[in-house]
Amino acid sequence: MLEEKQLTEKESLALIASMINKVKNSCIDSGIGPLFWGVMITICSLITFAESNFHFKLGFDIWILSLIALLPQIFFTWRAKKEKVFIAHDETMMNYVWGTFTVCVFMLSFYNSKTETSNSIALYMMVFGIPTFITGGIRNFKPMILGGLVCWICSIASYYVSFANGMLLMALSAVAAWLIPGIILRRRYLKMKHV
Amino acid sequence: MFKELDPILHSQLRLAVMSLLIAVKEAEFTYIREKTNATAGNLSVQVQKLKEAGYIEVTKQFKDNYPQTTCKITAQGIEAFEAYVKALQQYLQAGQG
Repeated sequence: MLEEKQLTEKESLALIASMINKVKNSCIDSGIGPLFWGVMITICSLITFAESNFHFKLGFDIWILSLIALLPQIFFTWRAKKEKVFIAHDETMMNYVWGTFTVCVFMLSFYNSKTETSNSIALYMMVFGIPTFITGGIRNFKPMILGGLVCWICSIASYYVSFANGMLLMALSAVAAWLIPGIILRRRYLKMKHV
Repeated sequence: MFKELDPILHSQLRLAVMSLLIAVKEAEFTYIREKTNATAGNLSVQVQKLKEAGYIEVTKQFKDNYPQTTCKITAQGIEAFEAYVKALQQYLQAGQG
């Protein structure tokens, strides 16, 4: 237990470092968001690929699932906000970055529904890469930096392949940008929780 | 010439609170108590001293019908903390030299 005692210079610096480390460990993302969306977008992309490649129809647009998935996302966000006992410095910035991303995805979906162009998957992947790369850079989290880069490379590559293969690239983007970073974050979070 | 170490910061619990608050935008009293392992009474006294020095802002409100106290470091607090760390480094360098 910390008491109000005088410290030596060395003890003071050690205490500062230890408290900053404690906060750093509390700031670890639970990984649920990226994991959830990584799985969702990968499944939707693979099913769209299968529909297009093997010529069958599910009878409904699988991407509607991503709209429905907003409900648990809102729940996770609400619960996390309720349980929050501190606000990190980068939190407001992150909310704006991912908020902008959500709006852009909705706008893209709207334009896509009006123009019926298959090239829009390239634009989706370009947009996927932006918040992922920014988050990775700000939080110094290399898997997300790489994930963002994979999204952009896949975005360019999708111009040169069929729509079905473009969907495979979108699945790859989701795996690289969110699923793998999500798994890494989740494992880190659970490990820290048990320490 | 050595700067004198700020007496407000040169105490274990107050320094722990300031180090924690410099690393976040704001934190609840319960979180600070958990991370510092201090008793609520002792922490309250030290938080009050930091507030009186103008180093932190304390906001009291209700969340889900429970009182909630939130602490946030001020610009003056950041300045004092940085000066304190610089002074510490000077002392340590002089000790090594």
